[in-house]
Amino acid sequence: MSTVTAPGLADEVLGELRDVVGDEHLLVDKPARMHRARVPAPFPVHRWARHIPDVVVLPACTEEVAAVIEVANRFGVPVVPRCGGTGLTDGAVPLHHGILLDVKRLQYIGDIDLENRTCVVGAGVNMLKLNEALARHDLFYPDDPASYPCSLVGGRIGTSGWSLIGSRYGHTRDLVLSFLHVLPTGEVIRIGEGGGPRISKSSSGYQMKQLFMGHQGTLGVATEATLKLYPKPEAEFSPFWAFEEYDTGYRAVRALAQADVATFAGAVLFDEEKVRYLRRDDEAYIPQPENVRALVCSALYGNEDEVRAGAGRLMRIARSFGARYMGDEISQGDWAARHDRYATPLHGRTKAGQVVPMSWHCEDAAINWSALPAVREQWHRIVADLRSRSDVFDDWGMFSYTSARTGVDYLTEIDVGIWEQELDEETWAMWVDAKREIARVAVAHGGSISACHGSCREGEVDVVPEELGGAYEVMRKIKRTLDPANVMNPGKYGLDGAFEEDLA
Amino acid sequence: MSQFSYRRGEQVTPPPARQTSDVSVMRFDHIYEVDPRLMQRVPQQPFPNWDTLRIAHGREDHLAWMHRHFAHAVISGAEVLDGLSDE
Amino acid sequence: MSTARQDPPAPDAATEEFVEQWRNAAYNCYSSGHKFCREVCPVLQVTRNESWTPTAFHANVVAMEHGELAVEDVAEDFVNCTQCGACELRCPNTLFTGDFYRFRTRTVDLVKAVRALAVDKGIHQAGWQRWNSLTDERRHEPVLGEAPIDQAHVADWADDLDLPVGGETVLFVDCEAAFYRTSVPRAVAQILKLAGYEFGLMREQWCCGGPAAEMGYLDQAQRFARHNLEDWRAVGARRVIVLDPHDYITFTEDYPKYFGEEYDDIEIVLAVELFAELIRDGRLSPSVAVERTVTYHDPCRLNKRKGIWSEPREILRAIPGLEFRDVDRVTQWSYCSGGGAGLPIEKPELTAAISGRRLERAAELEVDTLVSACPWSERPLSQAGEEHRIDVVDIHELLAESLGIEVGGRRSA
Repeated sequence: MSTVTAPGLADEVLGELRDVVGDEHLLVDKPARMHRARVPAPFPVHRWARHIPDVVVLPACTEEVAAVIEVANRFGVPVVPRCGGTGLTDGAVPLHHGILLDVKRLQYIGDIDLENRTCVVGAGVNMLKLNEALARHDLFYPDDPASYPCSLVGGRIGTSGWSLIGSRYGHTRDLVLSFLHVLPTGEVIRIGEGGGPRISKSSSGYQMKQLFMGHQGTLGVATEATLKLYPKPEAEFSPFWAFEEYDTGYRAVRALAQADVATFAGAVLFDEEKVRYLRRDDEAYIPQPENVRALVCSALYGNEDEVRAGAGRLMRIARSFGARYMGDEISQGDWAARHDRYATPLHGRTKAGQVVPMSWHCEDAAINWSALPAVREQWHRIVADLRSRSDVFDDWGMFSYTSARTGVDYLTEIDVGIWEQELDEETWAMWVDAKREIARVAVAHGGSISACHGSCREGEVDVVPEELGGAYEVMRKIKRTLDPANVMNPGKYGLDGAFEEDLA
Repeated sequence: MSQFSYRRGEQVTPPPARQTSDVSVMRFDHIYEVDPRLMQRVPQQPFPNWDTLRIAHGREDHLAWMHRHFAHAVISGAEVLDGLSDE
Repeated sequence: MSTARQDPPAPDAATEEFVEQWRNAAYNCYSSGHKFCREVCPVLQVTRNESWTPTAFHANVVAMEHGELAVEDVAEDFVNCTQCGACELRCPNTLFTGDFYRFRTRTVDLVKAVRALAVDKGIHQAGWQRWNSLTDERRHEPVLGEAPIDQAHVADWADDLDLPVGGETVLFVDCEAAFYRTSVPRAVAQILKLAGYEFGLMREQWCCGGPAAEMGYLDQAQRFARHNLEDWRAVGARRVIVLDPHDYITFTEDYPKYFGEEYDDIEIVLAVELFAELIRDGRLSPSVAVERTVTYHDPCRLNKRKGIWSEPREILRAIPGLEFRDVDRVTQWSYCSGGGAGLPIEKPELTAAISGRRLERAAELEVDTLVSACPWSERPLSQAGEEHRIDVVDIHELLAESLGIEVGGRRSA
């Protein structure tokens, strides 16, 4: 049975929470609650009040997290876990107010096992900061999303993150060996491969690790993770190539991805609209001749001899497609800028070409290579339609990134600028409709709505049952079994519906 | 000595702009800027010269740092291409 | 205690004007969502409190625009900032496109503006109100705690140094150095004399006014600035040497805004940049070996706020006997002493935690000395240094030692 409280919490609940985390770490002031209501995805500012939690708690350790959830369960109060709050699917945005469980204080780096190359970290640790510490041992943790300088390990688990260099090192699900997980009913268990904390592959019992990654806080909270570590790479190679049209770039990126170069960490295809968008900013991006309309870049990491050998192979392949190498300055600079340059508010333009600050919607469907042109054409049409109806929307072009080392599928991104200063109910509704259409295109082409953010956003979430088919029923059953009081991030993924019918 | 000292008179007027594309201009070598005609809805800020240079140098420093952070060495594509031409 | 939402009062004229001025900047941050400001922020590293992030500081403006918050609700949150500038530099809207658009993130200015708005509306932080009131009374900051500061004693640090008053070049000494860590101005003055560099002291030096501006006491800051400028004019000074990065900021950012064209010809010289040049030119030759294993703390107001990181390292490399274990300037974007923007006055435990972290980083390098170029950083760093048995010295003190100067003065109370 679903239990979702009305806004405002009883003194008794606050009292018990205060007993768990202490006075200093229980925040009721309005600013504290407002600032934990949203994430970077475009947000309907005029609706901010709807998403403000009733209280914020900042636990210090796994035991406190578990105690908070136990209290929430007993009183039937919603709990919304929040790690970095840097996600892009509104996973951490409360839909029913409640307790905002902020785990950033779990910031420790624990045991670094140099023999087996693993380390233990609290959920509140950032990967860049972790790697600064690991550098002392010439080790590194290669989970490299666009949010690398700010996202936190707990959120990577909560979203089942994707890495820019995942085609070589794998993604969060491959790099996290195990984690302490607090169930919706408050028990603490270890989730991993079997029961061993530092095991990469087991067949003992049900294989549950992937279930407990990417649930957006609806199945509990990860508090501490054991990570698989690599040696810090000897060498990095990141060529950028220019093409005169999308189609050649498109065929070239497949060849690069399918070359099976061992040090291949990823390849990215920039479409024509993306190149046009990047031309708005000529300052780090040396102006290119008009006939540059598409780009491909790639990244290799590993031992220097192997990277050099792979580099030669890829350069030959690119050359065979007539690609023009863009030079070391762009290639190296733009790769090093990969976390920074692609979502700049002032790259927003009105139809008259004036600069305005725009928020960045980043779609992240998973699409097979063979479907990319069709998806591209349909997505641009959807956004062009939006822009024709309102200056609030801008097309910032598309990227397609390899997700796997065989190039079977691509994280396919269309970036839509949204002028939040001007957003209102009407344009928000237009956006939600477009979002739903965008999601349907991905599903219609045998893909997935989301490669990594999650698909909780208004509009797209309606398409999740369509995408998952029978698996969505299983999802609802699992939710009902593990979270009978429906306290963990209630409403996400439409899972309130799991409590409205008899699913026995 | 005044190479490194500060005088307001030397800072508040940027060098003159020359057009580099439809949408961009250049005042300092290798530092592009948006054509100010596009900044009507979002007025530009007062920007002393030292600040433009601080940011540009900071960016270069940061990019170099990001390379070092991920790997011990960066391979030159130009060198690799040269190697291919020798084949 | 109830958590029912309470509606704030409708925005008043001052708030509306403030929101109008900051609207574009606020949405620029709000719409961006990068949040790269966080892990470089010393306050965030220690507290993990999202209410004190630059994102929250900017979002407060959006919330105020929508009538969801008033300055009364957020004034206390804005205490938690050292104005180190890491956030606004690391922000991609500065670092990658700030120069392109001539529009960058200005979290430091935003924090100062909100603090000033709060003071204007009679919302004071107790410690800051007292601090700035005593400063107003005495013309200098109460850096000696209960022991009184006096205008009459502002140049006591120079008693036996036989320094003239006035001239074309004056040496400005901040309150912390003039009254507390007097070894620093003594080192600077004696190095200048050794190099044959002509300079004098001010006729009547007041506090630069920078800290008052940082804490929101703008009228006072401007009064003090006017006094100092007139004092420079009165003795014919057109060049001001500063040894403190905080003063460097005040004189190259605040004073130009207050005075405009009137200020065009005043030349501000930073002592470490001058000394590095004198060493290059052979006018200073550090020759006494200093046997220490050191690392350098990049003061925030030099490295992050101004991009000045190279000259202090030049100086250290010129000192014989030093084993210098450096940490690069970009890594140091996320380092801080916690000493800036009034934080030690209102939140001493937070400053101590930030300094503690800085010393932990230094301790990892197995050094016996942490060298800084900022007197304000040296007090909290010294306190944290005791636990790690790391000596905290000022770069001018170290250079003077290597030049064979018996500096005198004191490094602590």
